[in-house]
Amino acid sequence: MTVKALDIGRASSPLHDRPHLRRLDQVDPYLLIATLLLIGYGLVMTYSVTAESRTFTGDPMQFVVRGAIWAAIGVAAMVIVAMFDYAWLGTFAPLIYLLMLGLLVVVLAIGRESLGAQRAVNFGGLSFQFSEVAKVLAIVVLAKYFADRSDRIGSPLVIAGGLAMLGPAVALVYKQPDLGTSLVFIAIFFGIAFLAGARVWQLVGLVAVAGASFPLIWSLLKPYQQERLLAFLNPYSDPQGAGWNIIQSLIAVGSGQATGKGLTAGTQSPLGYLPIAESDFVFAGLAEDLGFVGAVILFALYIVLIFAALRIAYRARDPFGMLLGGGVAAMLLFQILVNVGMAVSLMPVTGIPLPFISHGGSSLVSICFALGVLQSVSMRREAPAIG
Amino acid sequence: MVRSDVRAFPRPRRFIAMGLTVLVVFTALTARLWDLQLINGAHYRSLSEENRVLRLPVDAERGMITDRNGYVLARNLPGFAVMVLPVDLPRGKQDALVAQLGAVLGRDPAEITKIIDEQRIRNPYEPVKVSAKPVARDIALVLSERRELFPGVSVQAQSIRSYTDAALYSPVLGYVGPITEDELNDLKDQGYLNTALIGRTGLELTYERYLKGTLGWREIERDAAQREIKTLSFAPPVAGNSVVTTIDDRLQKLLDTELRKGVEEDRFTQAVGVALNPQNGEILAMVSIPGYDNNWFVQGITPAQMGQLNADDRHPLVNKAIGEIYPPGSTFKMITGLSALTAGTATRNTVVNVTSTVMTVSGFNFYDWRAHGRLDFLNGFAHSSDIYFYTLAGGSPMGPGVVGAGPVNIAKYGRMLGFGERTGIDLPGEARGIMPDPGWKLATFDEEWTIGNTYHEAIGQGYVAVTPLQLLNAYASVANGGTVYTPHLLKDVRDGQGNVVTKYSPPAPPRKLEMKAEDLRLIREAARRVVTIGHAYMPNLKLPIAGKTGTAEFGASTGKDSAGRNRLGFHNWFVSFVPQQDNTDPTAQIAMVIFTYDSSRSLCDSCINPAVTLTQKIYEAYLLGDKK
Repeated sequence: MTVKALDIGRASSPLHDRPHLRRLDQVDPYLLIATLLLIGYGLVMTYSVTAESRTFTGDPMQFVVRGAIWAAIGVAAMVIVAMFDYAWLGTFAPLIYLLMLGLLVVVLAIGRESLGAQRAVNFGGLSFQFSEVAKVLAIVVLAKYFADRSDRIGSPLVIAGGLAMLGPAVALVYKQPDLGTSLVFIAIFFGIAFLAGARVWQLVGLVAVAGASFPLIWSLLKPYQQERLLAFLNPYSDPQGAGWNIIQSLIAVGSGQATGKGLTAGTQSPLGYLPIAESDFVFAGLAEDLGFVGAVILFALYIVLIFAALRIAYRARDPFGMLLGGGVAAMLLFQILVNVGMAVSLMPVTGIPLPFISHGGSSLVSICFALGVLQSVSMRREAPAIG
Repeated sequence: MVRSDVRAFPRPRRFIAMGLTVLVVFTALTARLWDLQLINGAHYRSLSEENRVLRLPVDAERGMITDRNGYVLARNLPGFAVMVLPVDLPRGKQDALVAQLGAVLGRDPAEITKIIDEQRIRNPYEPVKVSAKPVARDIALVLSERRELFPGVSVQAQSIRSYTDAALYSPVLGYVGPITEDELNDLKDQGYLNTALIGRTGLELTYERYLKGTLGWREIERDAAQREIKTLSFAPPVAGNSVVTTIDDRLQKLLDTELRKGVEEDRFTQAVGVALNPQNGEILAMVSIPGYDNNWFVQGITPAQMGQLNADDRHPLVNKAIGEIYPPGSTFKMITGLSALTAGTATRNTVVNVTSTVMTVSGFNFYDWRAHGRLDFLNGFAHSSDIYFYTLAGGSPMGPGVVGAGPVNIAKYGRMLGFGERTGIDLPGEARGIMPDPGWKLATFDEEWTIGNTYHEAIGQGYVAVTPLQLLNAYASVANGGTVYTPHLLKDVRDGQGNVVTKYSPPAPPRKLEMKAEDLRLIREAARRVVTIGHAYMPNLKLPIAGKTGTAEFGASTGKDSAGRNRLGFHNWFVSFVPQQDNTDPTAQIAMVIFTYDSSRSLCDSCINPAVTLTQKIYEAYLLGDKK
């Protein structure tokens, strides 16, 4: 048959990859359109939250422009990354792993304190959250790790090795402290391991072990984290304290009703009832301004995005590409679930940004980078008509 | 295809599981939103409004009270209240601040501390009033200009009720005072705030419903720190309506001046003067001396002031025109006479031959003030013969053939004239008085009625007791030809533009006396004769005044009262009316009662009755003096 011929046509090494215009046909249009619409949606929400602020007297467009610049950087990064064969990432995976740990160490060393946590590093006035970048790098590293071991995936040693690799990163992020982001790392791990074909009983076993060691984990939690968890279970036990955010967020979401109070017409966030309205609780502000309809449109875009990512993963030319797609899908899904779930009190309060909608350059550029990688995977999948 | 071999790695079932997970997550989130936004959205919308919007009441001015000509008796003056916002007052500075405030406001610092501490618990974001009484402008200025010295202190405009003539009108107007916790619970729905002043007594109490304004509302938007962001809407308060009284300030002041002078000169220790229009029951003047300064209550009465009022055994807080009862003395002879005439036991020609000053019945002596000789009704009344009226009430040896009207008839017609029952005047605290009859005595003292009781009652002694207003209203009903009106102080109620909103309407329609017109005419004729023959001596009289004197003896007649004045135990009445012409027609436009307490040592009705002299002086000044 023609197996050999096909093999020759494909780059035998990432270094031999040549970007080719033909591959533009294989750009995933769903992923691209959903990405661009979500970036636009994010800018609109940035405008709405800033413009309705009663205390901010400057030009609301200032924040929109800043958001647009980050979006431009993100889109540029996405395009550039898509041009290169993602196999390069696999090649440099060990370096990327070191880079990831390095970034997290830098944050701990020189990070700027924000709300009691060292999460951002300043670059000439722009603060950058390295843990956002680190999440994407972790996807690459884990995808490469499991892709290289797809033949031995059933071995518990492989799972243990992956966990051991991820451990330092999770610990460093948790030390910032950023419980939410460290949970994202774990979600990515489970997503990739699951698609790589890890034994389900091993994964379930891990969850069971985590559950059994909950008392230990509880004792490791900071007092404010314990408070948040307790407040999640019963917000009205301390309505003016730990429960305040949850109650006010529910009020914001619920008061949006079907069609919302209108862009820039919300009252909960501008009057300060809703804290961190531009990032952690941005969904509550969105649901207040745009209502059920606005939220469902957002969900629809997310569903398109995640299914496009899964489709790219399914059609990838190799396990590494597949697991990259799976990791990105897992990361997006987990962040959305936790952020939105927190706003509607289905999840405890943790500081995880909502993809595209939360105001923040690092998160946006990191996600764009990841989606650029997925486009690269899409563009380099098997050409269906060749042969 | 070979592809299937090469691409063995994607595990379709795992992808399906992933896809299902995505769908489950978004379905769950959507379901939650459905519940929050579509099912319970309205609830959360109202919560967000409650969060954001604060409705602040804006106090309304209380209405004015004026006399019948628009002279202002009660108004509102601008004043200030001192407030503390606990959240702006650091605990460390509280003690020092409270000490300063206590000194400036004249209030016990412990009280202020308690108020602030309680507010810290209730709502530290809401200012609480710490001044007990309105604060003068200069103090308010110091507090508001030196903000840095008084953290958390603010000054708020709060008008003060001001009573123009204080003690002169306090028996009529009463005063307002801060609403109590219990009242607030009952009245919250009617627009009362916890800072409200509410009518405590007098017209301020009776006509609270007219005087009270309608609260305005200011809706403000506030942020999570409870700071005011902007005013969303403002519904201005509506000031209360003005109450126009029937009082004529000129007559009130004439009466007050004369009666007060009498007290100051120690001719008597207490005095009551009431004048009304017999044709409709409108009260033209009502003076009760001693009164009290009702501004004390508005500004927060001090314990010393309260002690002073309570220590005065003349009861300055009581409006003696309606709130105290006294024996009517000889003024009651009108009722005895009318009862006998109406019952048919006497006519104008009934003659009693008063041959002695003493009459003995059943072994008891009953006295007259002189041996009058033969008296018919007119002269018996005009000379105020006690024995003549003993005879009309109970029969006597000096009036053979005269059957007494008896206590049952006297009580019946006395009640018809309004005794023993409240007149229904629009003031709180009215006494009923006592109109006794044998049944009453049996019920009250478990004793049989005696002929002696009848005699004593005939001349207004014994058990019968009246308020000055009851007595006046009885005479007024005779003066107007037989109609008992409800005496009242309200003329009408007017809105801010001066339009009449409500006129006085009596609680019950006027009553007709079931008496013969000629009998009433006889009384008017007899009352006029009291003056013309000089029994009530009015020299150079220019007006056709008719009336009846009375002297009552009761209470201690030795020692001094708490004001240091001699207790005499003798009290003088003069009840009068002035017909339009000097005839017996029921045309009187004015009737007046003057009662002077501890006023004469004389047992003689005609000797020195200060009420008679005062009556002449006041009528002449009021009706003949220039009406400015």
